[in-house]
Amino acid sequence: MDRKVVITGMGMITSLGLNLETNWENLKKGESGVRPINLFDATSLQTQIAAQVPDEFIEYSEKYVTKRVSKQMTRVTKMCYVAAKDAIKHSGIDFDTMDKTRCGVILGVVSTANTSAEKGTTPQNKVIKSMSNAMSAWISLEFELLGANYTVTSACASSAYAMALGHDMISTGKADVVIVGGADSIVNFEEIEGFNELYALSTENSLPEKASKPFSLNRDGFVIGEGAGIIILESETSAKNRNAVIYAEMLNYALTSEGYNIMAPKKDGEGIAFAIESALKNAGIKPSDVDYINAHGTSTMLNDKYETMAIKKVFGDLAYQIPISSSKSMIGHTIGAAGVIESIITVQSIVNELVTPTINLDIPDPELDLNYVPNVARPHKINYALSNSFAFGGHNAVIVLKKY
Amino acid sequence: MAKITENTRSEVSEVVYNFFMEECDVDASEINDNTNIIRDIDGDSLMFLELIEIFKKKYTLNIDLKTIGKFVVKNPVETIGQLIDTTMLIIVHENNITEL
Repeated sequence: MDRKVVITGMGMITSLGLNLETNWENLKKGESGVRPINLFDATSLQTQIAAQVPDEFIEYSEKYVTKRVSKQMTRVTKMCYVAAKDAIKHSGIDFDTMDKTRCGVILGVVSTANTSAEKGTTPQNKVIKSMSNAMSAWISLEFELLGANYTVTSACASSAYAMALGHDMISTGKADVVIVGGADSIVNFEEIEGFNELYALSTENSLPEKASKPFSLNRDGFVIGEGAGIIILESETSAKNRNAVIYAEMLNYALTSEGYNIMAPKKDGEGIAFAIESALKNAGIKPSDVDYINAHGTSTMLNDKYETMAIKKVFGDLAYQIPISSSKSMIGHTIGAAGVIESIITVQSIVNELVTPTINLDIPDPELDLNYVPNVARPHKINYALSNSFAFGGHNAVIVLKKY
Repeated sequence: MAKITENTRSEVSEVVYNFFMEECDVDASEINDNTNIIRDIDGDSLMFLELIEIFKKKYTLNIDLKTIGKFVVKNPVETIGQLIDTTMLIIVHENNITEL
C-alpha cells in the first residue's frame, strides 16, 4: 500500500503571532520577532534576546485550556495544545464521525520546558508537566483518539522526524489521520548559558531585530526562538471523503545521520547534501523540479556555509536559480518545533505563491552566493519545495512538499 | 483519630462540591452525588489526592496515601458521592481503613 499523504490543517504559534494568519501576515512583511527576554532576568547572560512568543499568550490560552488542565501544563505544552486545536479546526475534522482507532498523534519534542523560567509549578503537577510525552498525550486525550500517540526526539529535527513518521503511518495504511508537529522553548537561564558556552548564539543584544542574519557576512550565531506548529496529515482518500480543503501534499522525506560529530556538521556539507539527495530520490523527483528551499539557515558560521555548499553540490548550476530563504531570520530557531513550523511556512508559500524573505541579509558573504530572497518577500509559483532541518547529534531531515 | 460531629459529612460535602466547581469550571446545578468525575466533568484521578491533602490538614488525619491507594483499588471512586463516602471512611478509620 502506498497512499498519498496530504495536509488538511495547520496551526502555529511563534514570536510573530498566536495563529496561522497573523504569522503569515508578519512573515510576508519580513517582520522580526526577536526582542529582549522578559521571561526571566537575563541581564547577566551574554545573550539577552530571543524570539519570545508574545506575552499575551497566557491570557489567550485560557480560551483553549481549562483551568484544571492549565495547572498541569507548561507554557510550551499549552502552545502545542492551542496550535493543535487550531489545526484541527482549520482542517474541519470532526473526530466523532471518524474511526478514532485510525487517528493518531506523533510529535517531535525535546522537552516540555518545565525549567526555572516556568511559573507556578507545584510538587503535585511536576511529573505531569515534565513528562516528555505530555503534549501528544493531552492532544490525544482531548479528542479521545485511539491510534498511536507518542513523541520522538532528535533535537532541532524533532518535529520534522514526527512528520516523517506520521507520513509513513498514513502511506502504509496504518492510519487515516495523524496530528504531527511539536513545540519547544529553551528560553531559560540555564540553556542560554549553555549555548553561550558553545559560542552558538548571537550576542547582538543592542539590536534584537537585526540579530538573526542567516547567510550574511556578519552573522554571529543563532537566535533562540520558541513556539509550536501542528500539521494535520491525512490520507488523500480520507480528505476527499469528507470534502476537505487540501493545502499541499507531503510527497516524501529523508531522515539521515551525519555519523560525524555531536555538534558540528560534516565537512563541506557532505551530510546535508546526502540528506537532500535522499529526499529527492525518495520523492522520485529531479533537482530541476525543486522550486523553493526553506533552509535550515540558522545564522551560524558553519551551518550556513555547509548548507550552501550542500545545495550547490546537489543542484549544480540550478542552485543559483532556486529561491532559498531562512524563516529563522524572523522567528529565530524554534529548536524541536523548527521542522514543522518551517514546513507550515513552506506550505503557505506554495498555497500563496509567495516566498518569504531572509531578513537582515544586508552584508552578503562572498562565499554564500545563492538566491536567498534577501529582505523582501517574492511572488513565486512553487510546485515542489523542500524544508530542511539539521540537528546537533547529526540528525538530518528533509521534507518534500508538493502543490496540490 | 479525627473527631466526628453530626456536621462532618456536610462540611466534607461542601469542600468537595466547592473544589469541583472551582477546578472543573462547573456550576452547582451541574453536579450532584451521581456525577462521574472523569466522564461527566472532565476531572482526573489527581483530584482525589488533592482533596485528601486538604482533609488531612483540616482534620489532622493519620493516613498514608499508600493505604488509601490499597483501599480504592478494591473500592473504586468514580462519582462525587463515592468520593464523599470514601472520605468519611478515611476520616473515621484513618490507617485502619484497609481492615474494613
